[in-house]
Amino acid sequence: MYYIGKIIRSFVKMGNKTSKITSQDRAILDLKIQRDKLIQYQKKLQVISDKETEIAKKALRNGNKRGALLALKKKKYQEQLLKKTDTQLLNLEELTQSIEFALVEKDVLSGLELGNNILKEIHKEMTIEKVEKLMEDTTDAIAYQNEIEELLSGKITREDEDEILEELRQIEEEQVCRLCRKLPDTRPGSFSFHRFLKPIIRPTGFLYGCGFDNWEVYSIY
Amino acid sequence: MTDLFNFPSIHNFPPFYTLQTQPTTRQTQITLWSEIILAYFTHHKLYRLELSESLNGELFDNKGIKRRLKLGTLQCIIDAMVKQGTAEWDSQSKKNVALIYWRKPEEWATLINNWVFNSGMTNSILTVYEIAHGDVTEGLDFHGLDQTILLKSLDILVKRGLAQLFQGSSTEDMGVKFFGTNG
Repeated sequence: MYYIGKIIRSFVKMGNKTSKITSQDRAILDLKIQRDKLIQYQKKLQVISDKETEIAKKALRNGNKRGALLALKKKKYQEQLLKKTDTQLLNLEELTQSIEFALVEKDVLSGLELGNNILKEIHKEMTIEKVEKLMEDTTDAIAYQNEIEELLSGKITREDEDEILEELRQIEEEQVCRLCRKLPDTRPGSFSFHRFLKPIIRPTGFLYGCGFDNWEVYSIY
Repeated sequence: MTDLFNFPSIHNFPPFYTLQTQPTTRQTQITLWSEIILAYFTHHKLYRLELSESLNGELFDNKGIKRRLKLGTLQCIIDAMVKQGTAEWDSQSKKNVALIYWRKPEEWATLINNWVFNSGMTNSILTVYEIAHGDVTEGLDFHGLDQTILLKSLDILVKRGLAQLFQGSSTEDMGVKFFGTNG
């Protein structure tokens, strides 16, 4: 694995050497190097002009007015040069930035072109006829599905449902009765507990579903 | 120039300036010296040690206790630092100039690469000069970095496939193009 990685990396490096630096890159580098040189030149000018001031001061102290004047003139000249190089620097900066921006624009354009081509290719694969056919097929399929559903659910009618409910009620009653029989009769003989409970339980039957168990319902009475 | 460096108390200990003969003591002495050198160079952001020149500086010439390091001793210390990877002789034959790596070239390389990535400089062209001296890197750790160390660090990035060094069409000066991925 390591060896393969090494080979790939060396390929990448070879690729870098040949393709990754374009002539535009070189041109930008040239401009930037020029800028660096100007900046260094400016530093030099600044140092010299500072020194001229010192020389002028020293000359004045020694009573050499002519020498002081010359130094100040030189200083003035350096300052003018500094101003000129400032404009040159600005020009260089502008040019570099326009080139860089133009390169970005070029990249954006080629990106858009690529995207456009891909979009075209995708469109080629999905013609209007194909889509129409597909949509038609889908509608048919949905209709078919609905039909199936109707057939399946239509089997249980209103009467069937009533019957089911009746059965449910019967089961509920049976359960209550079975419960009653298990309990000791509080009033043996004369009172039929079973008959007494029946009409009351019925309306409260819904309580079963609400979480009341048999014991609770019974204990109310 | 910058504020004063606070030397550790061992710097005022006279025997510290004579190379010790006892191996373990000597080892400790050399380690302590290299720590002081690294701390001093970090503090003042220095990169290049000119041995004979520096023997007159505050680092190796302690005027308070009238002790000064000998050239041979300093070379011994630097040799040990070279072994550790915290220094490198600039010219092997003379042993007079050493690069001090308070950050190793690999670390400088990572710093530069991160800066390029974070400042959106990926794919743009930078001159070697402006990385170390330009306005764009003002205030960053590698601003003012020694040219030799900078080139070594850039070379590491080139080897990792993250950058490429190249020359302009008309000049000898070098430029770098960063590719900005980490890998």
